[in-house]
Amino acid sequence: MSLYAKLFYAAMAIAVAFLAFTGIGTFAFGKPPMTHWVLMAHVAVAPLFAIGLTGVALTWSGGTRSSTEPDKIIPAKWCLWLILLCGLIVMLSGVVPMTPVFGTRGEHFLYLTHRYSAIVLTIAVAIQLVFFLRRPK
Amino acid sequence: MLRKTKSSPDATSQALGGTPTSHLFSSLAAILALLVLSFTANANDLTTESRIPFLHNIQLHDAQGKVITPPAALTEDGKPQDSRATPYSPAQTCGKCHDYATISQGWHFNAAQGNVKPGRPGEPWIFTDPATHTQIPFSYRGWPGTFKPSDLGISDYDFITNFARHFPGGGVGEPAKIDAADPRMGRMQITGALEIDCLLCHQSTGRYDIDSRFTAVKGQDFRWAPSVGAGLGTFASFRSAGAMADQWKPGRTVTTNLPAIRYNRARFDADNNVTFQVARRAPANNCYYCHTTETSLGDARWHSDTDVHLRAGMLCVDCHRNGLDHMVVRGYDGESKDRSVTDPMVDLRVKMLRRDNAALTDDDAKKLARTQLQSELSQIDTLSCRGCHMSGRLGSPALIHKGMPPIHFEKLSCTACHSGPLPTPDQTIVHTSLAHKLGLPAPARGKETAPIIIEPIFLRGENQLISPYKMVWPSYWAHLKDGKVTPILPAEAAKTGTMPKQPSDDIQRDPYNTKPLAAAQIQSILQSFPENSTNGQTVYIAAGKLFRLEKNQLISEENPAAKPYAWALAHDVRPASQALGARGCADCHSADSQVYFANVVARGPIDATNALSKGIWEMRGDDKKVGSLFAYTFVFRPMLKVIVFGASLIVLAVLIHYGLRGVGAITAVQSRKTPP
Repeated sequence: MSLYAKLFYAAMAIAVAFLAFTGIGTFAFGKPPMTHWVLMAHVAVAPLFAIGLTGVALTWSGGTRSSTEPDKIIPAKWCLWLILLCGLIVMLSGVVPMTPVFGTRGEHFLYLTHRYSAIVLTIAVAIQLVFFLRRPK
Repeated sequence: MLRKTKSSPDATSQALGGTPTSHLFSSLAAILALLVLSFTANANDLTTESRIPFLHNIQLHDAQGKVITPPAALTEDGKPQDSRATPYSPAQTCGKCHDYATISQGWHFNAAQGNVKPGRPGEPWIFTDPATHTQIPFSYRGWPGTFKPSDLGISDYDFITNFARHFPGGGVGEPAKIDAADPRMGRMQITGALEIDCLLCHQSTGRYDIDSRFTAVKGQDFRWAPSVGAGLGTFASFRSAGAMADQWKPGRTVTTNLPAIRYNRARFDADNNVTFQVARRAPANNCYYCHTTETSLGDARWHSDTDVHLRAGMLCVDCHRNGLDHMVVRGYDGESKDRSVTDPMVDLRVKMLRRDNAALTDDDAKKLARTQLQSELSQIDTLSCRGCHMSGRLGSPALIHKGMPPIHFEKLSCTACHSGPLPTPDQTIVHTSLAHKLGLPAPARGKETAPIIIEPIFLRGENQLISPYKMVWPSYWAHLKDGKVTPILPAEAAKTGTMPKQPSDDIQRDPYNTKPLAAAQIQSILQSFPENSTNGQTVYIAAGKLFRLEKNQLISEENPAAKPYAWALAHDVRPASQALGARGCADCHSADSQVYFANVVARGPIDATNALSKGIWEMRGDDKKVGSLFAYTFVFRPMLKVIVFGASLIVLAVLIHYGLRGVGAITAVQSRKTPP
């Protein structure tokens, strides 16, 4: 695996951790929706996630088709596709509300979509990381 | 509910007055009277219950309930005679069919009752005196930031003397008992009570003469004002009732030779009935007499588009509705929690319930009535902006708000974006009927005419939503003792004799004495107040500050007593295309946004250089750093969109690419398994 691939993955994972902390943290332990500093910090890190996810999509997706990897990490491979899918939904449901396309109901639907797809994304990243960390050297 | 009297007890008694006096006939008459009276009692409950307006071709009654019959044009011996008679009483005339006691519980009349929840702070009365540079917001409702009239030494009688111009009567204008020993209240024995003037709101001809009514109430001709305003006749005396009351003192006999109304005979038909063209749904122009708020001052009025709802053909009362109790819906979110069911409404409902179910006991009927009425209060919430536009009542357009994240609806009221003038760096000066006597002829009012009220100030209300407010700063001379500020009323303040006199040749140019006080003038006036250790130190409250002398030097400081009074504004509503945000996020989210960063200079009758100045964010209790940084993030928002959309496109391409390859692999496997 190339250094770039690792860097992209690290960027994405760090961004997901931060975004989950601010976003899901507010949802679970604070008073949603996010506002003020938390919202600004959340949005500020969003581009890092977008770039990281794109890099992961470009550098990791080919590897999932390789049959040389141990069977143990097959679930992690499937997690990658889930991460990419949820990541795409999270990104689009984050920025589409900033465009004059959807009305109040649509905006609210996107807001909920963003929230719940982000939760799935976070879980998928966490599972994948666990599998990677337990991977035989 | 409209109830029609077929014949009144008064008419009956008048008819009986002409019966022969023999004993037999007297007895027969008494029996007949009982029969007729019992019929009359039922007749009072007659109702049309139709949507067609009932033709109010009715007899007039005076305060004693007697039918008013103007004398014929000629006496029996052929001499012309005046059409003088006692003034008509709305309570007795309209009250014959409409339950006056229930109506008098209404929002427009109940401010001083003390048992009504004050609700969201609204427009106060403002005691204004340009000569002493005084403007004091006050209210019977006890809204925080206002004085109660009693705190200022203003009696109920003084209140109606000064404010009956825009007060529809009832309430303090119509005390349950007139205290003859009270030198102020006792005057009402002569001036009469200021009854609720139903026609002020309900006439639909546009011919109610508010200026004549004003002249009448200015002269304290309270009893006569409804007749004069309705155009039924003119006040038939050279001396006003107020002037007559001036000569009365407690303990003296009240004159019975009170002025009359010279009725317009043309208003009476052959049966002595008068036709009133009235409307249950009061025309908007009637509301405008007391509820005009004008921001397009002077000759700029033609710039104004007025409220979008009225432009669409609605009336004020389509949203600001009321039942018989006249508890007009104010229309703000959560209003139903501020409302309670009144006893007269319960009594009325009990009557209806027992009509339909004779088996109901009085207690059960009362309980049921209260439950029903309480449940009906939730109707109020459907008449707010959200209530109407979310339910589609009256064909209201559904809420769409394209591109506006939902958080806006959790942080802002509808009015924040849709109501009042668009925010400007200096805010907009607004004149209101109550504060500036709009609707009554006077020299043109200008931007500096007291009281200076500005809008929109974006503040956070009790519901934590940011809404636009009107704001006025109190200004008055006062005593400061033990940290408590007690206003000195203008009449007392004027006694110092040091108030700057306006040059007589300047009065025509500036009839409202708007020249601001300079610091030196404030100092000089403060020095001229006699020292009195009982009252404390004399101070001046104006433009957000308290001015006082310390070692004979004028100093100014912030003080809670100088805080502005603000009340939420809701009109005029602008169309969606002119709402804040219609031109993009930068309408509010920019470094120069007036919603976030406007500077509010306190207005008052002093030099602006001495006035308090605050950021609107500070008044709202917000953090400017957060606001500034958040506005700054919008500079990078297009970049964020490009990055995220670009990233999404690439991720989508990868997913499609491998998705298609996956599909290809599946079909390849299937094709290998299936022999050709």
